[in-house]
Amino acid sequence: MNTTVTILSLFTAVVIILAVLTAFRAQLTRVPGGKVLAFVTLCILPALAVWTGLHEQLERSTSTRFCLSCHVMADFGRSLYVDDKSYLPASHFQNNRVPRDHACFTCHTDYTMFGDYRAKWRGMHHVWVQYFGTIPKPENIRLYTPYNNRECLHCHLGARSFEETSSHHKDPGMLAKVRANQLSCMSSNCHDIVHEVGTLSQVTFWKQEEEK
Amino acid sequence: MTTPRIERRIRWSGILIGLGLTIQMLMLLWIHPLSFMIFLLVGCPMVGIGMLVYLYSLASHAAGESK
Repeated sequence: MNTTVTILSLFTAVVIILAVLTAFRAQLTRVPGGKVLAFVTLCILPALAVWTGLHEQLERSTSTRFCLSCHVMADFGRSLYVDDKSYLPASHFQNNRVPRDHACFTCHTDYTMFGDYRAKWRGMHHVWVQYFGTIPKPENIRLYTPYNNRECLHCHLGARSFEETSSHHKDPGMLAKVRANQLSCMSSNCHDIVHEVGTLSQVTFWKQEEEK
Repeated sequence: MTTPRIERRIRWSGILIGLGLTIQMLMLLWIHPLSFMIFLLVGCPMVGIGMLVYLYSLASHAAGESK
């Protein structure tokens, strides 16, 4: 349990105790001081506890651990440890190009104002499918929409390794098309090896996975 | 002696808020999408309803006094 969760749990526990005490000592509200106390313990503090709790829940839902807590996602988590640098997510994860504890969310959210909320909404649908629907095989899981280059360019645009690499200048105007999302970074013969969860039985894994 | 209506409502309000926050606190200990859902769909509404019951008790009491 990290410090934030400890502090938040303690704060929530104090608010619970105050709310329950107010509930069973409701006669306190007969005097003006008691009315103020009740307003604080039954309105202000619970609202604050919910707001901080919601913030923590939203924050942790961006963690790799959260995404991989569903069984169907386990192979996607394993694919981050493939010992082959042509595997795009694995090379990003293992070389710290994405923060390891927020690896999924770094590449799989729309970088728009409500992108994370949209992701949560879809996540709720996934939970529904997990318990009440038919769970697809990991290799049959597809993105809702084609992967947007924006998620790559968010970090790579302007980087020397991206702008000057010879393979990005094979065709004139190639980079312009990539920037305009007209040519996918994951086009055939480019960065087209992604999670490939259907072939994980045929690959070797980075040692660190065994150490964990 | 019977408990005034406002105090009964405050009691219900406190109980709902206490239960809702207990659920929220427990869900903080579990990192899973289901925990997020329970937090959002059970804990938050319970606290929200508890707060509304409290505010309603104030409003209805004030309205009763002004009559």
